[in-house]
Amino acid sequence: MYTAAKRILTLLLCALCCLPAAAAREEAFVPTVRHTKPAPPQVHITEQDLSAYTLLYETSDAEYYWREDRDIIAVLDKANGYVWKTGADIGFPKQVQSRVKEAESAEEKLRLAEPLEKSMNSTYIGVANSLITAEYRDGKTFYAGSAAEKGVDSLLSAIPGEPGRFLLSVDFLELQLRVEVEVACLKKGLRYDIKADGISGPGKSKLTAIWITPFLGASGGEAAYFDPDTGDYGEPRPKYAPPGYAMVPDGSGALIRFQDNQVPFVEYVGDVYGQDPAIRTYYASAASDAVPLRNPLMPVFGIAHGDRQAAFVAYAEEGAEYMSVVMRPEENLRLKYNFCYPRFEYNVEYYKVYNRKGSGYFTMTDEAFRYDVRMVYLFLHGDGSDGSPAADYTGMAQAYRRHLIEEGVLREAQPASPDIPVRLDFILSDMKKSILGHEQVVVTNARQVGEILQQVRDSGVSNITGSLTGWQAGAETLARPDSFRFHRAIGSEGEIARLFREQAAQGATLSLAREYTLLNSRMTSYTNVAAKHINTWYLLHDKSWVFPSAPISEFSYARPDVAASWVREIARRAAPFSTALTVSGITGTLTSSYDRNGVSLTLPDGIRAVQDALSQAGQQLELDLVAPNLYLWQTVHRFLNAPVGGSRHVFETDEVPFLQMVLCGSMEVYGPYCNFSFYTREDVLRMIDYHLYPAFILSYGPSHLLADTLSGDLYSTQYEQYRQLIPEIYGQVNAVLRGVGGYKWVSRFVPQAGLVVNRYEKDGQKALILVNYTPSALSFEGQTVGPQSALCVKEAPRP
Amino acid sequence: MRRLTAGILLVLALLAGACPARADKATSFTYTLNEKGRHVRTQDAYLPDKTITTLGLAKPSDLFFAADGSLYIADSGNKRVIIYDPETGEVKREIRHQEFSAPTGIFVTEAGRLYVADPAARRVFLFDGEGALVRAYEKPDSPAFNDIRYEPMKVASDAAGNLYIVGEGVYHGVIQLAGSGEFLGYFTVNRTRLTLTQAIQRLLFNREQLSKLVETVPTTFSNVFVDRAGIVYTTTMSTGFNPVKKHRTDGGNMFTSPVIGPEALSDVWVDAQGLIYTCDQTGYLQVYSAMGELIFYFGSSVVNLDVAGLYSRLPALAVDHRGQIWTLDMDKGYLQSFMPTDYARTVYSALGLYEKGRYQESLSAWQEVLRLNQMSVLAHNGIAKAYFHHEDYGKAMEHFRVAGNRPFYSEAFWEVRNAHIQRWLPWAAAGLAALAAARRGLGRLRKKRGAMPPGARIAARLRKVPLICDLSLALEAPRHPVDRFYEVRRKRRGSVLGASILYAVYFVIFMAFQTKKGFIYQFVQVEDMDIKALVAGYFLMIGLFILCNYLVTSINDGDGDLAQCYMIPAYSLAPLMLAFCMVVLLSYALTYGESFLLSIILLSGAVWTLVTLFLALMHVHDYTVKETIRCLVLTVVFMMIFFIMALIVMVMGEKLAEFLRTVYEEVMRNVYGS
Repeated sequence: MYTAAKRILTLLLCALCCLPAAAAREEAFVPTVRHTKPAPPQVHITEQDLSAYTLLYETSDAEYYWREDRDIIAVLDKANGYVWKTGADIGFPKQVQSRVKEAESAEEKLRLAEPLEKSMNSTYIGVANSLITAEYRDGKTFYAGSAAEKGVDSLLSAIPGEPGRFLLSVDFLELQLRVEVEVACLKKGLRYDIKADGISGPGKSKLTAIWITPFLGASGGEAAYFDPDTGDYGEPRPKYAPPGYAMVPDGSGALIRFQDNQVPFVEYVGDVYGQDPAIRTYYASAASDAVPLRNPLMPVFGIAHGDRQAAFVAYAEEGAEYMSVVMRPEENLRLKYNFCYPRFEYNVEYYKVYNRKGSGYFTMTDEAFRYDVRMVYLFLHGDGSDGSPAADYTGMAQAYRRHLIEEGVLREAQPASPDIPVRLDFILSDMKKSILGHEQVVVTNARQVGEILQQVRDSGVSNITGSLTGWQAGAETLARPDSFRFHRAIGSEGEIARLFREQAAQGATLSLAREYTLLNSRMTSYTNVAAKHINTWYLLHDKSWVFPSAPISEFSYARPDVAASWVREIARRAAPFSTALTVSGITGTLTSSYDRNGVSLTLPDGIRAVQDALSQAGQQLELDLVAPNLYLWQTVHRFLNAPVGGSRHVFETDEVPFLQMVLCGSMEVYGPYCNFSFYTREDVLRMIDYHLYPAFILSYGPSHLLADTLSGDLYSTQYEQYRQLIPEIYGQVNAVLRGVGGYKWVSRFVPQAGLVVNRYEKDGQKALILVNYTPSALSFEGQTVGPQSALCVKEAPRP
Repeated sequence: MRRLTAGILLVLALLAGACPARADKATSFTYTLNEKGRHVRTQDAYLPDKTITTLGLAKPSDLFFAADGSLYIADSGNKRVIIYDPETGEVKREIRHQEFSAPTGIFVTEAGRLYVADPAARRVFLFDGEGALVRAYEKPDSPAFNDIRYEPMKVASDAAGNLYIVGEGVYHGVIQLAGSGEFLGYFTVNRTRLTLTQAIQRLLFNREQLSKLVETVPTTFSNVFVDRAGIVYTTTMSTGFNPVKKHRTDGGNMFTSPVIGPEALSDVWVDAQGLIYTCDQTGYLQVYSAMGELIFYFGSSVVNLDVAGLYSRLPALAVDHRGQIWTLDMDKGYLQSFMPTDYARTVYSALGLYEKGRYQESLSAWQEVLRLNQMSVLAHNGIAKAYFHHEDYGKAMEHFRVAGNRPFYSEAFWEVRNAHIQRWLPWAAAGLAALAAARRGLGRLRKKRGAMPPGARIAARLRKVPLICDLSLALEAPRHPVDRFYEVRRKRRGSVLGASILYAVYFVIFMAFQTKKGFIYQFVQVEDMDIKALVAGYFLMIGLFILCNYLVTSINDGDGDLAQCYMIPAYSLAPLMLAFCMVVLLSYALTYGESFLLSIILLSGAVWTLVTLFLALMHVHDYTVKETIRCLVLTVVFMMIFFIMALIVMVMGEKLAEFLRTVYEEVMRNVYGS
């Protein structure tokens, strides 16, 4: 036993000495160009001592072990021998020191002398080891891990008759809370189920969140090691930290590489599907000068160790609407670890207002949110050469896409045309103040839309999709969302119908666009229409700072079920005109609603209502949805305004097209409007790199006419200004992306800084898209890519 | 229990939502000013570039780019100055000195000499290019400086070696020292700006009362900078009015128009082109033209987030030779750089070309800016000025109009009008002469035949219709007030219906006067007007005058009844309304320089109306001049009393309504839960 321990210790020490401090700083700064960094260094896969563990279950691909005293599951990947532990596997210092002290021989001491963690107190050591952690509020926020030093009992038992399935019962004694977690060992992965009924006890009302395996894949730490010569612990030093990164669904996806940070960063928190406005602390919000953070559109994250060696992807199958992805970079909370985990919210503290003056107090809801949680972790290995998803973010995307296809959320689809499409949305009108009420400012009419589209076609762009915004009498600002009355200055019903007919005959798909979530009191009464905050006040969103001259500045949010009914109505009325419908607002904003009796519309209710309405609409129309959340992907035909990059947290080291890799091959994905700071050469390269189709928003008249409307932020839309840019950008993107039409996006890697290689495959034929972001020519496998340009290279199919 | 107002409840929507129309590179929106001087969004001007978190900075407070491209950082918390190489990302050198306590201001000369201001050490240190201390500037021993605190916070130096020092809490001005350390005086000082209350107190209080008030002192400077041309720039805290100044050698401000900026400006930098960069502590960065016009601003403050380009506290900025802005986050210890976008570069290029008088080249650059932002006031102005210099006044007018630039629009309009006059004047003169000759001929012919002028018969018939007769009184009364109002008194002419129609017509004229003037004279756009207030104001004023006048005349033995009181203003206001009509029409034909004509017309109309009103009151109520004056004064006093009472009632009514609404809502909430 002593020899084995010594061998492991030696191996670890060697790893520490040999590696150039894997977690050390790679660069002296975080650069803007976050999408062209080479992969992290290799992780050293060492033999792990699992003597304190008992074998739970074994499959063809993995072995599962359990450590009772620390609630840790260790998963041994048979493919490469890599061991994943659901916890940090750290002893409590007092217990370790006591054991060492009581040991009778030097050998015994050395065997029992685990490293002493120096960057965490006993509460956090408990959290770091635990399978689940309860976060609760009792005046202030507390954390209790299932393997806490005291005050918590946990027991894992096999579920009879169901091999590979176990039940972990955790009693938080002080909190008076019991949580039951069902653990299933998959072929090479784990699944956790926490049923709504599995949480019980009086402490339920204090429970704010549950974290699942927060330290799975964590990297870092600082420990004091036992010195057999002195018989005591030495000075603390950094532990071996596997190089790697956490992939978080921030925007299109971002990597946070494991680093030894110099400053205490604030953690990344990505609220899946966006934070529910009804349970924010305050009922009112205002548009700010900061660009809003990108909300995760899908409940997924992952961690990779090394360069395509070992990774896992984790996703929620149930409870996603209450989930946040939390990534704590090293030095956050002054901990020396980088770790990432899912957090499921059960209660919130909010400001309860009891009179119109705004007097109130902070409180929590009486009842916790009631929902089931199902988290799945799939472990990945290798570079993907064996056909399995690679152990990096591209493999995570593949594995996740595979799962979504199996679930029926995504489907394989072939492009209708060899050329990529371009999106041309038209702003027709909006409202401004006038002497007598409001005036509808029309900047484009139906005839002008037809003329512009013809001119675009004449410039060589044939595959066109688009939409019309502001077509109603009252425009987006004042027309009730289900109103279907065209403004006469835009065109009569007959003229609009003729426009759609003529464009369809020439292969262009036009649709009517509408935002369904933000309401104002001029548009419709709020009663039974607008969602209410948890404090039972109508939600309020103030835009007066951004649109000081606009006719309306205060908005509320529509209840999803009401908005869904509006979508149904508009879809019914639009069907005779068009084959498509463009929907926004409701696609990316999810809200619940409350009344005095508590929740009147839960998030799952809202999701179901919107899903039903869009499924119904999707039966008669193609749906073009603006940045839709995952629960709507089943109905999406065209994904509009796809995010490019993340929210630019300082510690995010790479921006990656994770979202686009998941979606590619299932729907058309369009980038942000090129009009607004997305028109440079680098942006065009990003479009190619991220497999995005170009999009523009256009008007016939100059956009300064809209300055005093709520479209005042569309500061450059006049077609005349974009007459040349549209075919130019389209031509550049199409020239490369048309080469991989119908191909599967297999991988993406960075052979050298500034050069990105995207691999595609179709029926055995391979294609590479090389994107060179640098100002000098670069080569890859004999192919030279000019400065700031992209190239599609096809390999001949294998015989 | 905590109480928060609804305003406080407004939280930043950083976590809220949708932002439909933009790319994802920037972390804050860029704003510029629109033609109304309001902040509007524009294309991203700068993008966050490098975030350097590894320098171990503690409370860094100043930055400076030396001529060799090295970035000097005053790392106050660590009592040192770092010399950082932005190209390699390496720290080249550290400058430490045993007397450093908390260096907060640095300045590097062209020759590489480093000045360090340390308020805690109460010295300014001067180091040579090798980092050796040359001398320390201690408190000057001049008698004029005896009672002044000497805690140098920021420092700058000109080519002659003079020092400009911003001292902590020194409101006397920027301390100017000679290179020898001799106190030269205060280079410039901020003027004391009194609030309205303070101004009234100054006017009314005696010396004893004034002595009890808190002394009003000028706002203190927050930073000082000397550019390559030796021009001194300063920033001032706690004021949004001229927070940045560009000084003449005598200390005066070179900016002729007021510069509007944030109230917490902390630093200023000027590049080789003369562009002025400032930042304020709350996390915003501004760029001004050499003339002090705001080009754009961006940035934001943030709490509990580490997002590149958003700040918890922003104390300093510096700009490198490539135009990249470098900044510090004081609380987090980050160094953050920003890269100018193509949009910003194009704007700067256009500005530079225009300032050099290369109008044709600037035109194409401005057109590129306009392509990216059709609402850009700068671009419209630039294009318009270029057209103006090319004598294409029509196009210049078009762009000046979008830019809201009335003075220049007026100049262009004058040229256009002049051209029209020159072109059409002979024709117009000939036409008028022909018209006059024809009229004269026709007149003679009618005289010979004894015929009436055309329409005279119809007019005579119309005058017999009572209502038309009553309406025409509005035009007759101002010309013959004594006779006409005598007829009103005798109830021979005038009617309530006629007066009501006139009030309606006047309302239309009044609204046209408010909203339909030509661009040069229509200073407030309809969308920015409070239409309800205008409508209410019109009817309230007239209604209140009639009511108060009736009450006053009733108790002062006036002969007129309520109906006559109602008619008097209607038949007196015609001159003013006529003036309104003329002003509206002429506003389309006159330039800025001719505004006196409109003033004269308005004044004449107002005086004529007042005289008519005065005579009307006198004759209808059979008053003497003295009684009429008293009646008018009392009417105005009554109107004011009514107005104040109405305000009180409105406020109380609102409170009552709010109380009832709250009770109702509470009841509904408690009974029905909604």
